Amino acid sequence: MSYLTVTNAIKQFGGSFTALSGVSITVERGEFFTLLGPSGCGKTTLLRSIAGFNDLTSGEITLDGANLRLVPPHKRDIGMVFQDYAVFPHLSVFDNVAFGLKPRKVPAAEIKTRVTEALAAVRLGALADRLPAAMSGGQQQRIGLARAMVINPHLLLMDEPLSNLDAKLRVELREEIRDIQKQVDIATIYVTHDQEEALAISDRICVMSAGQIEQIGTPQQIYGNPQTRFVAEFVGTLNSLTDNDALKAVLGQLRLSAPGASWAVRPERLGLGEADAGSSDGVVAVPGIVGKYTYLGREAHVLVKTAIGELVVHLSNPGIEATRQPDEKVSVLIERSAPMAFDAAGKRLPAAG
Amino acid sequence: MPRFNFWTGVMVLTWLLLISLLFVPVGSVLLSSLYDQAGNFTFANYQKFFAETRFHQAFFNTLVVGFGGLVGALVLGSVMAFCVSRFEIRGGKFVSLLAILALVSPPFIGAYSWIVLFGAGGVVRGGLREMGVNMPPIYGLGGILIVFALKFYPYVYLMVSGALSNVNRSLEEAAEGLGLTPWQRTFKISFPMVFPALSAGGLLALIHAIADFGTPRLLGRGYNVLATEAFTLYSAEVGSNMSMATTISVLLIVVSMIFVLLQRYVSRRNVYHGNMINKPVRVRLKGWKNVAAHFAVYFIGLCGAMPVIVAIIYSFRKTNGPVFQPGFALQSYERILFNLGDVVRNSLTFSVGAVVLIVLVGTLIGVLVARRTNLNTALLDGAFMIPYVMPGIVIGIAYIAAFNTGPVVLTGTAAIIVLSIFIRRLPYMVRTTASSLRQISPSMEEAAISLGYSPFKAFLRITVPLIVPGIIAGGMLSFVTAINELSSSLVLYVGRTMTMPVRIYLLILDGDFGTAAALSTVLLVLSGVAVYIAFRFMGRNEQALL
Ligand SMILES: Nc1ncnc2c1ncn2[C@@H]1O[C@H](COP(=O)(O)OP(=O)(O)OP(=O)(O)O)[C@@H](O)[C@H]1O
Ligand SMILES: [Mg+2]
Repeated sequence: MSYLTVTNAIKQFGGSFTALSGVSITVERGEFFTLLGPSGCGKTTLLRSIAGFNDLTSGEITLDGANLRLVPPHKRDIGMVFQDYAVFPHLSVFDNVAFGLKPRKVPAAEIKTRVTEALAAVRLGALADRLPAAMSGGQQQRIGLARAMVINPHLLLMDEPLSNLDAKLRVELREEIRDIQKQVDIATIYVTHDQEEALAISDRICVMSAGQIEQIGTPQQIYGNPQTRFVAEFVGTLNSLTDNDALKAVLGQLRLSAPGASWAVRPERLGLGEADAGSSDGVVAVPGIVGKYTYLGREAHVLVKTAIGELVVHLSNPGIEATRQPDEKVSVLIERSAPMAFDAAGKRLPAAG
Repeated sequence: MPRFNFWTGVMVLTWLLLISLLFVPVGSVLLSSLYDQAGNFTFANYQKFFAETRFHQAFFNTLVVGFGGLVGALVLGSVMAFCVSRFEIRGGKFVSLLAILALVSPPFIGAYSWIVLFGAGGVVRGGLREMGVNMPPIYGLGGILIVFALKFYPYVYLMVSGALSNVNRSLEEAAEGLGLTPWQRTFKISFPMVFPALSAGGLLALIHAIADFGTPRLLGRGYNVLATEAFTLYSAEVGSNMSMATTISVLLIVVSMIFVLLQRYVSRRNVYHGNMINKPVRVRLKGWKNVAAHFAVYFIGLCGAMPVIVAIIYSFRKTNGPVFQPGFALQSYERILFNLGDVVRNSLTFSVGAVVLIVLVGTLIGVLVARRTNLNTALLDGAFMIPYVMPGIVIGIAYIAAFNTGPVVLTGTAAIIVLSIFIRRLPYMVRTTASSLRQISPSMEEAAISLGYSPFKAFLRITVPLIVPGIIAGGMLSFVTAINELSSSLVLYVGRTMTMPVRIYLLILDGDFGTAAALSTVLLVLSGVAVYIAFRFMGRNEQALL
């Protein structure tokens, strides 16, 4: 049996609004599990149910085999990093972090070393004696992070712990979180709506939308093999292909078919060729003209108007010679493995032909 | 969970408290207004009220002084607030202090000081007469309105100056950018922004003006209002007419209630949240404008504080019996020390007792209202509006009506005075606690719980330290109102339970202004200490006084 299981969790607010409609997840020992989804999809609600701050309307939660819903929140030994920091303003940074060690009867000397280490890990060592009142959002967030991790809980819940940091610190700290988590081997549920962060840091990702689970899988599975249109669109970007005779021809050439499906393709799975590039085995060249060329440093986005729709093509490491002018004639290269088929409800269909 | 039981217990106790200390007494007022002297059910009291010119007149007069006081307070308060928050005024802090002085000054002393200056034998009036200027004495409607304007302007001033200094400057700059003239800007942008504060301050002035009993009593000279009529009916030596007094009380409650609802209605849409970043700057005025602004501010401030200043000066004057002699002495204070020690002691013990109760009960109920939101707590919050609009004289009469006979007889005890103060000031404490709690994110407690503290311990270790400064400040401000409470104590006191404000009232009626002034000064010092402590704990926040 998995370490943490949530089975058929349903949470209603005020009797009518359903924030979670039948969510089931499992988290293994030491696993880094991420909840990813747009704002308001129920991530915090699920996290708070696990922590015990709101009781589920129905459903089951077990931790290490024990029914968690019977344990009062303060006895669950679940560390939580709050979305709104929840830093104690009347305690110094040090005392904030030491707060959870006191009820655990940790000796004073050990408290000192553990708190100092935790503060160093979140780069707050220099501010230990300050009061958090005048600190920036990012600094407060890191206090919350250190405070939750220092108690070595059975389970660590983090609700967007990096949302208020600048891009650079965010990347640094997410590596740090990941390293610490692997070191102390705490099962962790991490909430974010930043897909890149989720992909970078997770063992498995659970993509949610409107109180439901869309897909659970490793970062590779989520990104490379999205099971719903929502996942494909939320994690990465998607070109929709216009359903017309030209598309039928392309699919025919690629020997792909899925009756009644709508088709889409990721921009980075497309290639850009010269106007006269011909189709070869497994690759179809679709002729088109350049609409816009956007240079982004690491990559460039080229919008190409073709018979099967306006397609965005991502080019990596674009050199100066890769620059395209508007109205230039080009062709878009589509590999057989690139197009994805979805049914009317947004479910992924097998695209064998 | 034990916590659930604890808070359910608090909830039940709160309702019991409200029922026994509020609903039953007020209910019995309501009921006894429906019975005649012989105990038969009747609408006669109301018919009589609307038939007799004496009561008509009092009703009409109440509205006149209410609105007159309102207009005066609005004018003085907003002029002062505008000048202090928009222009550089030398000694702006001192001006605020003057306003606070006017606000916490003991009741009655205001009216009486004005009589000392401008009454029939008034000092200033006498001086002017010698110079050949004949001015009418301050009695009557005009006098009441002047005193009300000067007494109640601090409500408007403190509310509006707070709001004005929070108006986001960008808004006004944006309006300027759009080409609005300064006048248009003031009326189209700033006015709507401060309107909620203005109407809230005005409401306080209006309610206090309607409920005020001392000023019309001393200055009215035949200009009777509902509050004085109720007291006269109640206290008449011969033929005390309790049911008519309660009828008037009911009407007073109704009038106050209507204004509270009206104010809520007109300012319902205007809720603006101030912004703490882009605050308006104060302009340094030049030339005659500067002189005019300073003159206005200091004139209003000094006039408002005049009664206090007069009282302090007169408390040190030499007296012979009740008659003032030239020169200064401490006789008045000696008289307090030797004859009125028990009055001071009564005031202190009653107020401290009431404040301790208020703090303990108010904090618990505040937590309940802020943290356990449901229909029940919403009702509770609503029920606490009632004491808010209840004129003191009505609470006094209601308590007499309820606790004179029946299962609990409290008339003549200290308890009845303490309880009357307690129930009147409890809503403020509940509100203070609730609003400071609402500013603390509940996830703070949850964080402590997730770290292993039981909910109760989390509350104790996290929430309590965060709200304690607010509670202490609230307690101190309750103390100020408790120790200055006159109108309910006046109805409820007996010889043993006389308090300082009651004694001051009686001293003034006896013409012993020296002792009254000294006693007022003592009251003022006590209030001042409490205000100082409150400001120490919550930063200088004058609006909390309201
Ligand atoms: N106490 C509550 N009462 C009523 N509705 C609530 C309550 N808490 C959350 N909701 C609603 O439940 C839905 C899910 O909220 P939740 O906070 O879980 O979203 P989220 O996924 O964490 O979003 P975000 O990324 O913005 O934090 C939202 O529509 C929210 O309005
Ligand atoms: Mg959330």
